[in-house]
Amino acid sequence: MAIFNVHVIIENKPGISDPEGETILNDLVLKGTHSAISKIKTAKMLKFTIKEKDKKSAQTRVKEICDELRIYNPMVSKITIDVFDS
Amino acid sequence: MSLEPQELDDLTSKIGRKPTSTELQIVAAEWSEHCSYKSSKKHLKMLPMKGPLVISEKGYDSGVLDVGDGYVITAHIESHNHPSAVEPYGGAATGVGGVIRDILSAGTRPIAIFDGLRFGDIEKDLQARWLFKNAVTGIADYGNCLGIPTIGGEVEFDECYSNYALVDVAAIGFGKKKNLIKNHAKKGDLVVLLGGSTGRDGIGGSQFASDSLESENRSAVQIPDPFIEKLIIEAILEARNQNLIHAMKDLGGGGLSCAVSETADALSIGIEMDVNKVHTRESDMNPDEIMVSESQERMLIVTNNDKLKKLDKICKKFRITCSVIGHVTSNNMMHVKKGKKTCANLPTDVVANATLLDRPSKKPAYLKNIEKEKKLKPILDYSKMMMKFISSPNIASKIWVYGQYDHEVGIRTVVKPGMDSSVLRLDNGKFLAAKIDGNPKHCYINPREGAIGCFEEACRNVVCTGAKPIGMLDHLQFGNPENPEIFWTFLESLKGLTDFAKYFEIPCVGGKVSLYNETPSGPIKPTPIIGILGLIDKTPLYSQKITTGNCLVIIGDTKNEMGGSEYFEYIHKFVGGKCPVVNFQESKTNMNIVLDLIRKDLLKTVHDCSKGGLAVAVSEICMTHQIGCNVSLEKVPGPKLDVDRILFSESHSRYLLVLEKKNTKKLEELLKKSKASYKMIGEFGGENIRFNKENKHVIDLRVDKAQKTWFNSLRELVVHG
Repeated sequence: MAIFNVHVIIENKPGISDPEGETILNDLVLKGTHSAISKIKTAKMLKFTIKEKDKKSAQTRVKEICDELRIYNPMVSKITIDVFDS
Repeated sequence: MSLEPQELDDLTSKIGRKPTSTELQIVAAEWSEHCSYKSSKKHLKMLPMKGPLVISEKGYDSGVLDVGDGYVITAHIESHNHPSAVEPYGGAATGVGGVIRDILSAGTRPIAIFDGLRFGDIEKDLQARWLFKNAVTGIADYGNCLGIPTIGGEVEFDECYSNYALVDVAAIGFGKKKNLIKNHAKKGDLVVLLGGSTGRDGIGGSQFASDSLESENRSAVQIPDPFIEKLIIEAILEARNQNLIHAMKDLGGGGLSCAVSETADALSIGIEMDVNKVHTRESDMNPDEIMVSESQERMLIVTNNDKLKKLDKICKKFRITCSVIGHVTSNNMMHVKKGKKTCANLPTDVVANATLLDRPSKKPAYLKNIEKEKKLKPILDYSKMMMKFISSPNIASKIWVYGQYDHEVGIRTVVKPGMDSSVLRLDNGKFLAAKIDGNPKHCYINPREGAIGCFEEACRNVVCTGAKPIGMLDHLQFGNPENPEIFWTFLESLKGLTDFAKYFEIPCVGGKVSLYNETPSGPIKPTPIIGILGLIDKTPLYSQKITTGNCLVIIGDTKNEMGGSEYFEYIHKFVGGKCPVVNFQESKTNMNIVLDLIRKDLLKTVHDCSKGGLAVAVSEICMTHQIGCNVSLEKVPGPKLDVDRILFSESHSRYLLVLEKKNTKKLEELLKKSKASYKMIGEFGGENIRFNKENKHVIDLRVDKAQKTWFNSLRELVVHG
């Protein structure tokens, strides 16, 4: 068993609007001189620290937890899971 | 896409050729139950819709009532059940957005929001708790961001909503009569789409709402953006003030398809539009998607070339996008193009008017024996039972819900939520009371009497503030109408509402029908929701502090009507019995005398008896005012009944009045003259709520303890499980 850090990024699915990101882009970033920026998306990140036998099972376990406890709504959001050695 | 084979034949024969794919999409959206009311429209005509105060104009999405001195109020009710069952936060929030744009489209400023929420059993069902929590947050976030107070509503839990949610939202608008949009258009006028961009969210939402929510086909999700909505409200009202709007419609179910075809049909014009002109979120959207997308926060406006410049300027000021997507023609056709290519070219009356159906109806089998009561287990300790009862989710205080809503923004709310109904101050010195009510438990047992009961309860609630009911909104929510038994319950409820509305001369100013409310375990109970608007000419009854020695008087008889009561269903887990029936004559007498007594300034506070019966209603007064009361059960008027029936029967037309002793003589004089049934049944004082019979305390509760339980139990349940 080893300790892993698992990062879960929760964001709206592609094609679903993101009012918060759009507001930050239009009302903050583009109001300055940062015209090189074309898109901002907001997301939420959860950082899990988990004891598991390997990276793969750490990822699977965290995915299961997120699904089971409705940590995100699969209708609206997608999640990306990254695993790092601690 | 949900066009039935015979509907496809119907369309083909009406237009004399095979429809294109875009045409199919447009018609499928517009002919869905959600947009066309094809099952219900024939029957809805029975409701009285005219009245001395009602202003009707073609193409209005909301009801308009004249409140005098050149002012009008507008009102509308909508539901967002299917989307909320899938994504409660966004579904509930976009529901609020939709109904607010209906208010806006008449040219009035939205001033209040109401919400009626129904979920499964949150004591056991985690999913129901998740839905409840997020729907409330969604409404709170959206309403609070817009600066519109959420001033009332109701919350109910019942197993029939497991895995589902009923989210009903009503809104009220206020404005000057001369500023109402008089929907009109002439050839050459421009058609403008204003607001948020069109994306792939919510594609096919209205058809989705017209299918049963079975399992995985849950793709129609809409994302709320209250900040754009707020900008749209301000931009539209400014454009209205400058007279720039000829006609207006909000984009709701069915998106552009419905907005364009219905506007054209209502105004007897044609509209030619180009999908390339629609501002989209993604560049690769095809015409079909653009026409049926239900992206939120969009309005369709008809204006002319001269006014467009000014409209553009306003939109720039508020930083919202507006694009000219087409123009008005005189040929009554809805012509959709992509550049030069025609995608759809249909007669607007064909699109906007689906063939109405005559659905068969049949009395449901389950009703045959429903009124039979089973033998109940005797209650050994009513005080203990009562503590459990007041902490149950349906009876407990809903402060956890309305505490999250800003109910005072706009400084109109003079009577706040938590009372029978909230009251708003209007600019002409009058006051508006409003309330929504439903009771699926009663409606399940008797769809007709149950629906009438909801109507009367909503009336009672506004009457308690001193308001005379002037208009009604109905929202009829049922299961699959193709099932004759369900359709029968729909018809019965509708007939009941019609009879009551006619007798009391309360016109129906708006409404909605939501069918196909089915969950994996079957249809929901019949759930008509009634909203009542009441007008107060002088001052509302502001509830005053109750002090020792004040008297408690009940108006109305308590009858043996236990069917569908909380007591039967929550305490005894029994569904059945006879549900309460409203006696129209008695109802009118009681309503009039209560209004008279309030006008004569004889009362400190008035509360109606409803869910949980007399026991709960008296306790609510005591807990709100933190004072005890001694009630004699043998004095309660009505037929002779067992104590549990006197305590918990949910008979209608009953009001509890609190007054000072010195006013009792005058009160009795007036009550005698009115021929209403009444009795002085109790006196306030001390620290205990006591219901007594033959010198024994049947129920004896410490007010402070009861109050704490009643106040906190819902929050405890939601937050800590």
